[in-house]
Amino acid sequence: MISFSHVNKTYPGGFLALKQVNFTLESGEMAFLTGHSGAGKSTLLKLISMMEKPSSGSILVNHTELAKIQYKQIPYVRRGIGMIFQSHNLLKDRTVFDNVALPLIIEGVSHKEIRKRVEAALDKVHLSAKLKCFPYMLSGGEQQRVGIARAIVNKPPILLADEPTGNLDPKLSQDIIRLFEEFNASGVTVLIATHDLGLIARMKYRMLTLKDGAMINDGLVDGLQPQGEFNE
Amino acid sequence: MSNLYSSKLKQRDNLLRRLLTFPMWHIQQAVGSLGDLWRTPFTSVMTIFVLGISLALPATLHLFVKNAHQVSEQWDSASQITLFLKLSINEKSTKNLIKRIKLYPEVDEVSYISAKQALKEFKILSGFGQSLEYLDKNPLPATVLVIPAQHSSHADAVNALLMKLKQEREVEQGKLDIEWLTRLEAMAQLIKDIVLSVALLLCLSVVLIVGNTIRLAILNQKEAIAIMKLVGATDSFIQRPFLYSGMWYGVFGGLLSWLAVSMLTHYLSGAISHLTELYQSNFQLEGLTFSEVFLLIAFAVLLGLIGSYISVRKHIRTIEPNAD
Repeated sequence: MISFSHVNKTYPGGFLALKQVNFTLESGEMAFLTGHSGAGKSTLLKLISMMEKPSSGSILVNHTELAKIQYKQIPYVRRGIGMIFQSHNLLKDRTVFDNVALPLIIEGVSHKEIRKRVEAALDKVHLSAKLKCFPYMLSGGEQQRVGIARAIVNKPPILLADEPTGNLDPKLSQDIIRLFEEFNASGVTVLIATHDLGLIARMKYRMLTLKDGAMINDGLVDGLQPQGEFNE
Repeated sequence: MSNLYSSKLKQRDNLLRRLLTFPMWHIQQAVGSLGDLWRTPFTSVMTIFVLGISLALPATLHLFVKNAHQVSEQWDSASQITLFLKLSINEKSTKNLIKRIKLYPEVDEVSYISAKQALKEFKILSGFGQSLEYLDKNPLPATVLVIPAQHSSHADAVNALLMKLKQEREVEQGKLDIEWLTRLEAMAQLIKDIVLSVALLLCLSVVLIVGNTIRLAILNQKEAIAIMKLVGATDSFIQRPFLYSGMWYGVFGGLLSWLAVSMLTHYLSGAISHLTELYQSNFQLEGLTFSEVFLLIAFAVLLGLIGSYISVRKHIRTIEPNAD
């Protein structure tokens, strides 16, 4: 569960990135976060993953008030959140297997268990054959799928994705979204930030729309363009 | 109820599994950090050489002090007390005195020069042989030479022994040329202090060198560290390979310094034994003992760990993940 209550975020220099944002994403729910570049989508995801701290307001993630979390506890909160980025954020000098295994190594899981779970995660994203490849040997779409496998390998209850289809062609983008739907179907809470409305227009999911840091729309996408000022 | 029981069992199994895998991961990270050193051979070799040479200098100075102490012990034993006996003392009393002095625990050796023997030696050595013939009686007293035991050969102890011997009723006067011994001890102390100061400075430089090498390694891995933080790595997990790198630098630096000192000892021992043979001394250059080698390497590891710990504490916390 993710809950924002009167959240404001001001960056040093006075730029107001989020203004009085309120919303609740229940456990097992899937939603899209949309808005123009600079609307505050990434800031919102950064606040959930504790890469940034809110200037005011309250954020609850898995029933934990993030404002009360101490520095040493941050990694343990992050282990409950799978994060996927447009830039993939893979370790360049490690193989696909090592990249996907990283969250499990950090948690101190046994070698046998790691092998089993990494293979299962790579199978899910159809990359079992690329186990020993390095990231530079993969296409953009494959790298993105490695990032997804890494995000789901330790079975987190929440998945966050920041422009996961940003550099991908429409076919690959659809495949990636289908993967998120599969994870959501197994009970994972999914929040995807995207400005690609064409991708989600025909889906029946909740859409949160940000404009200049303010939440201007929170409703279902039902084969129509969402209500509000943001239209691509 | 059974669900609760099975969940508790599962928790216990997880804890047990973690306890078992924890040392395995440590070993893996230690070996992995050795691999990191291997992947940057030039930097690693340079750092190890700098550490080895920096540690070899204080180790060599320690050897110098150790061997100088061995030499000074031989000189210390050469210090002797001369006791001039009263002229009125007869032979029986003298023998009694010698017996008593031999019982002193601080005394190693006692020798006696009679008044007659002293006059004979004086005639030969002074060159006044014929003039002394005109004397009515022998003006020289009988003399007892006392050599202190090894454990009482230091300046303070010898001085205390002299005071004690002067209390003997047969003794007129006691003499000890203590100044050279005091000077020698002062010089030895000065050398020890210099060695300690130089060693401290070199140890500080070792800490700084390791710290800087680890800092550069952290900056090189900045991106990877940010990603690890992003997927939930704790600072201690991230810093562990860097600490192990510091440890390896210490191990190899310590081994190199031992090798350097051993080679130097081997190189000098031939020349020194030749020199000591000329002085008819049985002095042998002592190298590092097994325990000293162990201490040297352990100390190098400690310095490596301190250097890397300072660096990781300062830099790893400042690296924060960025989603961009």
